[in-house]
Amino acid sequence: MSDLLRAPAEIKYAEELDWLESIDDGPKPFSWRLSPKMVRLFILGSERADGLDRKVSQKWFGDRSFVERSIVTLASDRGLLLIGDPGTGKSWLAELLSAAICRNSTLVVQGTAGTTEDHIKYSWNVSMVIAKGQSRESMIPSPIMTAMEAGAIGRFEELTRSTSDVQDALISILSEKYISVPELGGDGDSDNIVFARPGFSVIATANSRDRGVNDLSSALKRRFNFVRIPVVTNKRSEAEIVRFRTEELLRRHRIELDVPPTLLDVLLQSFADLRASAAAAGSDDERLESALSTAEQIGVLEDAVLHSDFFGERALSARTLASSLVGSLARREPEDLAILNKYLHGVVEPRSKEEGGSWPEFLEGGRDAIATLS
Amino acid sequence: MSDTHEQSSGTPEPTGGAHEQSSGTAEATGGEPEQDSDAHGRTFDALRGQLREAAAAFAGGPDALEGILLGIVDDVDRAVREPLEIFPVCHHSPASALAMARRLREKRPKVVYLELCEDMAPLLTELRNCRLPVAVQAFASETDGFPAEWSPLSVVAPITEASAEYQAIAYALDTPGVELVLVDRSSDHVFQWDARGARGTGSAGPAGPAGADEPPAEEEAALHGDAVGVGIGDLRPRFAELEEHLLRHGRVRHWSEWWHQYVELPLGDGDHDTYRQVMLLIGSLFRRLAPGDPHRIRVDEDRERYMWTRMREHLAATGTDPADCLYVCGAFHAASRVDEFGVAGGGSFGIAPRTATRWQYGLIPSSHAAIEAQFGLAAGSVSIAATVWAKNLERTGVRPYRLAGQAGANTKRSGAGKAPAAPAPSAPSPDRLTGFLRRPPVLDRLDEAELLGWSVEIVRAARRNGYLASTADAIAVFETSILLAGMRDRAKPTPYDFQDAAVTCIEKDSVPGRRDVRRLVEIMMGGDRIGRVGYDALPPLARDVHDRLAPLGLKLQQRGVRRALLDMASRPELERCSDVLWMLRYLMPQGAARPIMGERKLGERPIQESWDLALGTHQRALIELGYEGVSVEQVLEQRLRRTAYDPRATAATVLEAVEDATLYLRSRRLADELGTHALQVLSAERSVDGAPEVLRRVRRLLAYYRTGEPTLPQWIESFVKAGYAHYCTLLPTAFTDDDATVRQVAAMLGFLFDMEGLALSLGCDRTQLELAVAQSHPEEPAKTAMLWAARTHLGHLSRADLRARCDELLGNPLTVHAYPRHLSGFLHALQPVPGLTDFVVEAVSNAFARLPDRVLLPWLPTLITTLRSGGAELAPLLIREAGRVFPGRLARLDAWVPPWRERPGPDEEAVLTARRPADGGRGVALLAARPATCDAVAALLGCDGPWETAGPSGPAGAALVGRYPAAAEAAEALLAAS
Repeated sequence: MSDLLRAPAEIKYAEELDWLESIDDGPKPFSWRLSPKMVRLFILGSERADGLDRKVSQKWFGDRSFVERSIVTLASDRGLLLIGDPGTGKSWLAELLSAAICRNSTLVVQGTAGTTEDHIKYSWNVSMVIAKGQSRESMIPSPIMTAMEAGAIGRFEELTRSTSDVQDALISILSEKYISVPELGGDGDSDNIVFARPGFSVIATANSRDRGVNDLSSALKRRFNFVRIPVVTNKRSEAEIVRFRTEELLRRHRIELDVPPTLLDVLLQSFADLRASAAAAGSDDERLESALSTAEQIGVLEDAVLHSDFFGERALSARTLASSLVGSLARREPEDLAILNKYLHGVVEPRSKEEGGSWPEFLEGGRDAIATLS
Repeated sequence: MSDTHEQSSGTPEPTGGAHEQSSGTAEATGGEPEQDSDAHGRTFDALRGQLREAAAAFAGGPDALEGILLGIVDDVDRAVREPLEIFPVCHHSPASALAMARRLREKRPKVVYLELCEDMAPLLTELRNCRLPVAVQAFASETDGFPAEWSPLSVVAPITEASAEYQAIAYALDTPGVELVLVDRSSDHVFQWDARGARGTGSAGPAGPAGADEPPAEEEAALHGDAVGVGIGDLRPRFAELEEHLLRHGRVRHWSEWWHQYVELPLGDGDHDTYRQVMLLIGSLFRRLAPGDPHRIRVDEDRERYMWTRMREHLAATGTDPADCLYVCGAFHAASRVDEFGVAGGGSFGIAPRTATRWQYGLIPSSHAAIEAQFGLAAGSVSIAATVWAKNLERTGVRPYRLAGQAGANTKRSGAGKAPAAPAPSAPSPDRLTGFLRRPPVLDRLDEAELLGWSVEIVRAARRNGYLASTADAIAVFETSILLAGMRDRAKPTPYDFQDAAVTCIEKDSVPGRRDVRRLVEIMMGGDRIGRVGYDALPPLARDVHDRLAPLGLKLQQRGVRRALLDMASRPELERCSDVLWMLRYLMPQGAARPIMGERKLGERPIQESWDLALGTHQRALIELGYEGVSVEQVLEQRLRRTAYDPRATAATVLEAVEDATLYLRSRRLADELGTHALQVLSAERSVDGAPEVLRRVRRLLAYYRTGEPTLPQWIESFVKAGYAHYCTLLPTAFTDDDATVRQVAAMLGFLFDMEGLALSLGCDRTQLELAVAQSHPEEPAKTAMLWAARTHLGHLSRADLRARCDELLGNPLTVHAYPRHLSGFLHALQPVPGLTDFVVEAVSNAFARLPDRVLLPWLPTLITTLRSGGAELAPLLIREAGRVFPGRLARLDAWVPPWRERPGPDEEAVLTARRPADGGRGVALLAARPATCDAVAALLGCDGPWETAGPSGPAGAALVGRYPAAAEAAEALLAAS
C-alpha cells in the first residue's frame, strides 16, 4: 500500500472489508462479497448502536438515501448512473460501491470525446492476430467486458463526455448482458459470445454541467437508474468531508500539520459566501468559473497545507489559505480576479473588522495574492 | 405578562420531585379509595425496577439517566392517575384520531376540554358547512396593545378530518348534552406571549432537517398566508440531536416518517391504555430530554397553567364530576409538571387580560400542503396520514364521528343511534408500557397486491406527466421498493420507501412536465386536498358577494378560473354584477377578478365586459375582506378613506380616491367629502411634484361633472379656486427651483390656463397670474422657453418677438448649443398653450434646418425619448400640425416654401400682389389650367372679363399651359393614379 501514490479503495480498506465480510451474515445478492446492509455500513460508517466490535469510519458524506438507492439499484437489473455537479463525490461513491461489492474498483472506462466502442467492448492485439489469427487469446477485453466475465462492477466515468454512438454500445450490454464477438465465427460454439456472470452491473457517472453535450438516448436512460448527488450545502457535513479528505491527503503526503478548526471555518464560510454570490449573479461574467464544489475546497486546503509545509513555517496560516484560495479560484484574468477582489473588500473586510480572529490575516493574504496576480 | 413569566421561572423542577407531587395528587383527590391509589402507585413498580437496572447497567450507577428514566415513568403514572382523564394526542396523527373515536364511544364524556384557543369556540359549529381541511382563523387588522408593525395579526388552527381534535369536536357538537370547552390561551395571548423572533416557527416546532426534500413551492402551500399556526398536540423532539439520532436509527428520512413507522403503526391497533401510556411516555421523554429554547418552555408551561386554571374554573362553575370529562391535549402537555397540573393542582395562575385589539374570527380554506408548510412537516405527510386514517377505519371497523352535514360525509349518520355503552368502570389501568417497550418493532406484512397497485399506478401517472415510463419501470419500482425496505429493516415498504424507489427508477436527468416523480407519488398517495369553506360559514361580506354575483350563473365557490361574460346591453341587471366585480378587482389580490375586456372610466357606461374570476381560489382573501366590513362597498369606502386620510397622502392621491369613489361606488357623498379633503391637502402642499397628476385628474373630474351634473360640486369649484391661487403662488419658485421639472411647471401652467375661465368666474383675479409670471425669472433654457410661451399666451409677447428670440438663439454661435433645450421647453409648453403648435413645428423645423450637426445629432435621441415618454399626448398634436404645414406630395416639395418664410406683412394682399410677378404666385398655374371655375364665379358675379395671357414678367410657359391644358391634365391624372 505504501508504494502506491493513491491506492484504490479495495486496497486501502482491504483489512476493514475482510473483517466486514467475516462478520456478515446477511443475504448477499448474486456474487456480492458483502450484503447490501454491510455495503451501506462500509460507506456510511458504523455507530455504537450497530453493536460492532470495531468502528467503521464514514467514507462518503451525504444523504443516506442516496447510498441506499444506489445499492438497491445495483442489486436490481439496472445500471446506476450517478449524476451531479463536478466535485460532489460521484466517482468516490462509485469507487466505494465497487470496492465493497466486488473488491475491484479499477474496471474503469474513462469517457472522453475520443472514447470508441472498442474501449467498451474489446479490441485486438494486432501482432497476435497476424501471428495466430483471431482467437480469444488475441482479443483484448475492455474493463467492462472483464467485469462481465468476472461478475463484477464495471465503471464508466463521465458517460456524457463520450459520443452518443459509443454510449449506445452500452445498451445491449445492459439489457442482453452479453457481448457477441462476430470475428470469432458463429459456427455453433458459443465462444463468440461473452456472457455476463451474475453480479455484473455498471456504475456510470455523468456531469450535470455537461448536459446537452452528448445527451443520453432514451433507450439508454431507461436502462439506468439515475441518482442525483447534490452539491453539499450543509455546512456541518461539508466540514466533515473537508476534514476527512484533507486528513487522508496529509497522510498520503506524510505531512504532520494541524489544520486549526478556525481556519477550516474561514474556508467553509468563504466558499459559502462565494456560492451565495454566484447564485445571485446575473451573468457568467459575475460568477467565478469554478463550480465551488467541496472538492475545490479540498484542493484549496491541500494546496495551502503543502505550501506551508514546504515553504512556510510548517504551520497553516490564514494568509497562506487566502493566497491558495485566490490562486485556485482565479482562472480568468480580469473577471475572476475582479470577483475575488469584490468579495475580499465587500465581505471579508467588514467581517474582519467585526469578528477579528483569522479574518484580518486572511484579508491581508488575499489582497497580496490578488496584487501579485494582477 | 411579566407575572406569568416570573411564576414559570420559579417553578421547582426537580426530577425526583415527581414522587411527592404524584402522591400529593392522590391524597388531594380524596374521592378515590385509598387502596386504588396504592394500586396505581404499584402499577409501574416492575417497570421502574427494570429501568433502574438498565440505568445502572448503561451508566454505571444512579445518575441523571436514572433520574430521566424514572421521571418519565412518574410522569406517565401521574397523568394516568389524574381523575380528569387526560387524552394525549399528536397532531395529524391517524392513530390519535382512531384512539379518540374509540375512547369517545366507550366513555361518552359529558364535557370535552380541548387544547385550542378559547376564543375560537363559537366558530366550530360552522365546520359542518365546510369541506375539510379548513383553518379556524383569528384576525386583527387594527392592533391595540401590540407594536404597529406586527399588524395584521393572524392565527390559524387548521383542522383535518384525520385528526383527534376533529373527532372530539364532531362528538361534542353532535351529541346532545355534551359540552365542548376550549381551554387554551386566546389568540390575543398568542401574541402577548410571543417574543418576536420566535414567531417564525410559531408553535410549528423546529423546521426540521428537511434534507433533500424541498417543500413544494406551490400556491396551495401558501393558503395560510403569513399567519401564526397553532396546532393541537405538537410532538417533536425539541433538540436537533435527538431527532437526528432517532431518524438515523429508524432508518427514515424525516420526522413524519419516523412517527409513522414507530408510533402510528404500532399504536394503530393498540387498546386505549396502551395508546395513552405510550403517548404520555413519548411526551414526557421529549420533555425531559429536551431543554430547548427557554422562552418556548416558558410559553408551554404558561399554556398548561392557563388550561388547568380554565378547566378548574369550569368544573367549579358547573359542578361537573371530573370523571365525566375528557381533556384532549398534546402529549407534550400531558406530561406537564407545573403546579397547576390536575384537578387538585395548586398554584394561582393569574390570567392576564387581553389587549384592546379587536379580533375577528372566520374559517379559511386550508390544504394538506399548507399544513405541512406551516408546521414544518415533510411534504405529503398529511396526505399520507389521511390515507392511513381511511385504511385504519376500514380495517378496525371503528366508526368515526362526523359533523352532520359535513361535505363529503357518509350518508349514514355516525355517532348517534346506538345506545351509549356504559362508561367503563374506572379500574386502575394496568401497566401496558412494559409490554409495549419489550415488544419487537411491529413488522407489517408485505401487502404485495397493494404495492403492485402502487407501482402500476405511479408508472401510469408518470406517463401522463411526460415521463417515458413503461411496464418495465413498474416492475423495477416494485422490486426496488422491496429491496429498499429490506435495507431499512422492514418487510413492508412504507409509502416513503415506495417514493424513494419510484424516484430511483423513473426520475431521469430532467423533469419533463410540471411535476416530478416525488410529487406524483404524493398526489397518488392521497394528494393534496384543499378545503372549502361552505357558503353558510362565510362572513356576511363574502355571502353578499356570492349572492350578488349569482346572476352570472357561475360556480364561483369552486376553485379555478371562471370566465364571465357580461352583456349589459341585453341584460341590464348584469350591470350590478359588473359593479361588484370592479370593486373586487380593486380590493382583492391580483388574479381574483381580472377584466379581459371592458374598462371603467369616468362618464362611460359599460356595454359588454368579460372577466376571469377565481374567487374560489382566493377564498381566504375574500374571507379576510369580510373581517373589515359587512359589504364590499363599506370596505371600499374604508380603504378609500384610509388612503385619502393617510398622513403621506398628496393631493393627487386624494383626487385619485375621489375618482375611485365616483367610479366604483358612484357615491357623490364620499366624493364630496374626499374632494373637500383634497382641497386641504393641496393647500398644505409646498412642492409641485404632483402637479401633472393633479391637473390630469382635475381635468377628468371637471369634464365628468360638466357633462353629467347640472352644477359643479361645491368642492371642485373651491378646489379650482384654491388651486389657481396655490399654483400662482408657487409659480415663481417653481420656475427657478432646480428640483421642479419642466413637466411639473408645464402642468402648473396648464392648470392655471385651463381652469382660468372657471377660476375667474368664481372670483379669482387674473392679475395674480400676470404678476406671478412677471416674477418668474428662470435660468434654465427649457423653463425660459416655457416662460416665453406663457407670456405669449398671456399676450405679453408677440409671435414676431418670439420668433425673433429664437432666431437670435440660432444665429448666435454662443447660444446655439442651448437651442435644443429651449425647444424642449416649447414642446412641454404645448400642454398649457396648445395654440403654439404651429410655432413649435416651425421651431423644430428650424432646428433641423439650421442647427450645426455637432449640436443636432447628439440632441436627436433626446428629442425622440422625450417625445416618446413625456409627449404621448403632444405628439399627435405636432404631427397633425406638421401634416398641415408640410407638403403632402413629394413633387410639391420643390416648390414649397415654409409658411414662416413667407413673411406676410401687415397688408397681406398687397404683399401677395407685389410678390406675384416675382414668383408667379402659388396656384396661378392651376387657376389658368382650370378657368371654368373662375369663369363660373365671374358669370355669377356678373363680371365678364376675358382671360389675359400672362405678361412677359409672368412665369414662362404659363400662357402655354392655359392654352393646352391636356398636358397638365394628363400629369395630374398620373399623379392621382400614383
